[in-house]
Amino acid sequence: MSNKIPVLFSIGWNACINCGACVAICPQEAGFISPFDTIAVDRPCDIACLLCEDICPVSTITHQQISLSGQGTEITTPGTPS
Amino acid sequence: MTTKQYDLVVVGSGPAGSTTAYFAAQAGLRVLLVDKRQELGAPIQCSGAISRHGLTSVGIEIDAEYIHQPIYGFRILNEEGLEKRIDYRQLKPTEYGEAEDQVPLGYVVDRRRFDRYLMRRAERAGVDVWLKTEGLGYESRGAAGCTVKVKRFDEEIEIQAKVLVGADGLQSQVGRWAGMQTHIRINELASCLQFIVDRVEAEPLLEIVTGHEWAPGGYAWVFPKGEGYAEIGLGVIPTMTDHDARWHVDHFMRSSFFKERFADARILEVQGGGVPLAAPLRQQYADNLILVGDAARHVNPITGGGLHTAVSAGEIAGTFLAELINNGVSPLASELKGYQDRWYEAMGRQMWRLYETKSEIFRIKDIPERNRQLYATMSEYFSPDSQYKKI
Repeated sequence: MSNKIPVLFSIGWNACINCGACVAICPQEAGFISPFDTIAVDRPCDIACLLCEDICPVSTITHQQISLSGQGTEITTPGTPS
Repeated sequence: MTTKQYDLVVVGSGPAGSTTAYFAAQAGLRVLLVDKRQELGAPIQCSGAISRHGLTSVGIEIDAEYIHQPIYGFRILNEEGLEKRIDYRQLKPTEYGEAEDQVPLGYVVDRRRFDRYLMRRAERAGVDVWLKTEGLGYESRGAAGCTVKVKRFDEEIEIQAKVLVGADGLQSQVGRWAGMQTHIRINELASCLQFIVDRVEAEPLLEIVTGHEWAPGGYAWVFPKGEGYAEIGLGVIPTMTDHDARWHVDHFMRSSFFKERFADARILEVQGGGVPLAAPLRQQYADNLILVGDAARHVNPITGGGLHTAVSAGEIAGTFLAELINNGVSPLASELKGYQDRWYEAMGRQMWRLYETKSEIFRIKDIPERNRQLYATMSEYFSPDSQYKKI
């Protein structure tokens, strides 16, 4: 399930309905949230299970992989299966 | 930093939190109820259906302030549109109906108004309510109580309390503060989306549409919403479909046996959320802390209904905590277990049974057979002579 490469999530704020389902499914510890009741988008997620993307009723969560070498980021296409 | 003292701090002013606070304050506790939102009930994540019994059993008066629509029964539909009609006006006319000496079976409530109504009830019972106040963390000091840190607007405040009540919903942070096992599996969390629509006729019945084609892992619904509006929504289990809930609502509206009925629908509101079709949390307490409502997964695993279960659990929690604190008992996990035991006797056992029933249905691999089972179970569940004790 986890691909172990940390990811940085991005949310389409125009589509987001603030339903909180992404936070509900998130296995992170307390506090991995944004001020808009979504999962955090300002720091990498090292679990990278991507369940938040699966549960989102409007499919508006995407991610970039953060390369392990720290040499910038590799951008994945939205909807790419993990 | 300011410091305040209370018996209870309740985080989250939804139906569970407000009801817990109300019953605790009624029994003499000093209660602080905080919610980070500026407006309760919003953003709406719920269809708003609750039985009349669910309200009256916890002393909530039936009030036009929060009611969108009285409900008199159900229409359960299978994938092809075959229906079982369960209209309590016909089944139990001595009780249910529109006449003066009859009552509705239930209501669709306006969650903004309903949540505010329950908060106001708590406030009038002596609860202090702080909106725009987010919980930041808590620290147990054992028998002495706990310290709860909150942020009210931009001010950080520490509160000394005996017990912290986490009523902060399915996305509960309070449970995570205590390191509780709150994680829900992806195949037990329904991804839900609903539209409030104009130009769709709906009788005063809750319509429940089963069938893998329309709502894999869940069901679709059409509820009357008052003022001639209706609510069209559904919940799906993400592992059972390649599409999101939004796609499924669109598919249901355009392609199902209701497509002519929905042809002129105009969307007035878009709402959604996660609904647990899961077992309640195995442990709903820790030192100086309990969880109630969605935070403890007090949701009916068959219907996804969480209003009645939230206010009922709130009554149990508030009453229990008042007894505990008024008797000077240390609010440690070993004592707070009593809350869960009482809840288990009142509703928990039944919720676990319903979870087993639901799990058996969705374990069936053969889709037509699973469809048949779900339709039969839903039809049975809402019948007056149902073997399932309603929760």
